[in-house]
Amino acid sequence: MPTRPDLGIQLGDLKLKNPVLVASGTFGYGQEYAQYFDISRLGAVVTKSLSREPRAGNKPPRLVETPAGLLNAIGLQNVGVEAYIAEKLPFLRERKATVIANIYGKTVDDYTALAERIEAANAADAIEANLSCPNVHDARQARGVTMVSQSPEAILEYTRAIRQATRLPLYAKLTPNVLDIREPALAAEEGGADAVSLINTLLGMAVDAEKRRPRLANIVGGLSGPAIRPVAVKLVWDASQVLRIPIIGIGGICNAEDAVEFLLAGATAVTVGSMTFRQPDAAMRVLDGLEDYMTRHQFQSLDQLIGAMKV
Amino acid sequence: MERFLLDCPVTRHDEVALGQYRLFLRMPEIARIARPGQFCMLEVAQGYYPFLRRPMCFEQIFDEEISILYKVEGEGTRLLAQFLPGQAMNVQGPLGNGFPIDAGYGRHILAAGGIGVAALPALAKALTEACGKAPEVILAARSKHLLLCADLFESFGCAVHLATDDGSAGERAFAASVLQRLEPGRGTRVYACGPMIMMRTVSDVARAAGANCLVSLEAQMACGDGACLGCVVESKYEQEGEKMVRVCLDGPVFDTEIIDWEAHNLAYAP
Ligand SMILES: Cc1cc2nc3c(=O)[nH]c(=O)nc-3n(C[C@H](O)[C@H](O)[C@H](O)COP(=O)(O)O)c2cc1C
Ligand code: FES
Repeated sequence: MPTRPDLGIQLGDLKLKNPVLVASGTFGYGQEYAQYFDISRLGAVVTKSLSREPRAGNKPPRLVETPAGLLNAIGLQNVGVEAYIAEKLPFLRERKATVIANIYGKTVDDYTALAERIEAANAADAIEANLSCPNVHDARQARGVTMVSQSPEAILEYTRAIRQATRLPLYAKLTPNVLDIREPALAAEEGGADAVSLINTLLGMAVDAEKRRPRLANIVGGLSGPAIRPVAVKLVWDASQVLRIPIIGIGGICNAEDAVEFLLAGATAVTVGSMTFRQPDAAMRVLDGLEDYMTRHQFQSLDQLIGAMKV
Repeated sequence: MERFLLDCPVTRHDEVALGQYRLFLRMPEIARIARPGQFCMLEVAQGYYPFLRRPMCFEQIFDEEISILYKVEGEGTRLLAQFLPGQAMNVQGPLGNGFPIDAGYGRHILAAGGIGVAALPALAKALTEACGKAPEVILAARSKHLLLCADLFESFGCAVHLATDDGSAGERAFAASVLQRLEPGRGTRVYACGPMIMMRTVSDVARAAGANCLVSLEAQMACGDGACLGCVVESKYEQEGEKMVRVCLDGPVFDTEIIDWEAHNLAYAP
């Protein structure tokens, strides 16, 4: 009788019962998908990016479908951290979900205030700092970049400050739109992040040939879905060559085989994003399939799999 | 409200007009609770192109089946058209709010523009049952062959007014001008579904006449469940942190007074 494999992982001080997460912005605040499966089975739920105040998003249209994926320019519309604590968190707690609060701010102070507030309210088990949203225009113009995570110096500054503001495990979510992913990844590690989340969406755009107009009101958006998976796997691999902290893999994961691909390339956790739109219970299929895979190949624990690609 | 994710067999699939199809799917669990104006998300592709599901409103709701009516426009509907009776399709639903059924209104007028008619037969049936009298129907389309469901509405006892842009059937007119002639007033409720510009003009006529007006909106959707915030339209009132409503969860049926038609950019509209 083979024993069941151990799917547990460790991300900083947080121990997760399995490595399957759901991505920020693709799972609402958990309630939306609880009608399709038991969300406590997930390694963790990552919330929509939360800001200090409620945030209006971009003008519609905000979505356009592209080959094997989609472009979005939601613009971080969210209820704000206080409404999250008062109205969204109780449901997540009641359902016994492990929660990673994804936070977004315009300034270092925004991030530290969010982290402090979330820790004080016991409003999450870990924090993921979104340093990489492509769809907002209020970021680091002064530095000549549009996202914090396009500047290793900014990442260092931000992660250090957030690290000092909270004892909660801290994960830095980075953009793929850089020349060399190792620099921002190392900066996050140096700043005290317990893990890096790779990747946020890739910048992209689509034009309507008949109307001769951009398809998104925001003109540009973030590309996600299976179309970006090879890019994400490569960046996870690159980062894993230099990092000591774990990597949370994200980008086009649709099934267990895709998840294993990320693990073999060096990710410790795997995140289902856009695929939830296609199959609301996709994360559960990934989880069940991963357990099958490990049993089939007689892996007892994920350590035997993480970064184990044969080269 | 309860939602299902089910593999549902196709029971019938007919081309009802050039490039336009009616598809029957067997889904007892969903049919039992589905309401007119609600929709479902259909998984039309096997692979990842197209990647997303296709939202389709319930055309008719039976005991164990529902039908949808659609026009082949892109890759998703092209794949949909290839489904054969006996094949199964994954269905997510029922989704959205649906039309309120209020027999308190003395007069009910349904206005359909083009394939927008697909949301209205179930409503006509429900109103007939609730009010003891069939609603009036305005069927408008570009041309004669695009006018669908007239016989279905007539079978419920509806007076059907046809209008085409090119005059090939009924009057040469838009839906809004037919509505104007029908003289809606206080105590009338108008239900509109069609292109944005059509719903806006119908709303204007209804509002000017003091009638209540509901519109069933369309938008590009990813999740269909209120999670992605991708399907929003501008609203006059704040919700979830901004003046936007989600077509999939807060709608697709809205009182026209809630929609900020001025802010809406028709350049992008379907
Ligand atoms: C509609 C949508 C909204 C998103 N919103 C956020 C967000 O609020 N914060 C964030 O960090 N990432 C956000 N993302 C990025 C995802 O979390 C993820 O990094 C990206 O979609 C790649 O994964 P996927 O290909 O599996 O979707 C969003 C993605 C999508 C498609
Ligand atoms: S389609 Fe996702 S919120 Fe409406």
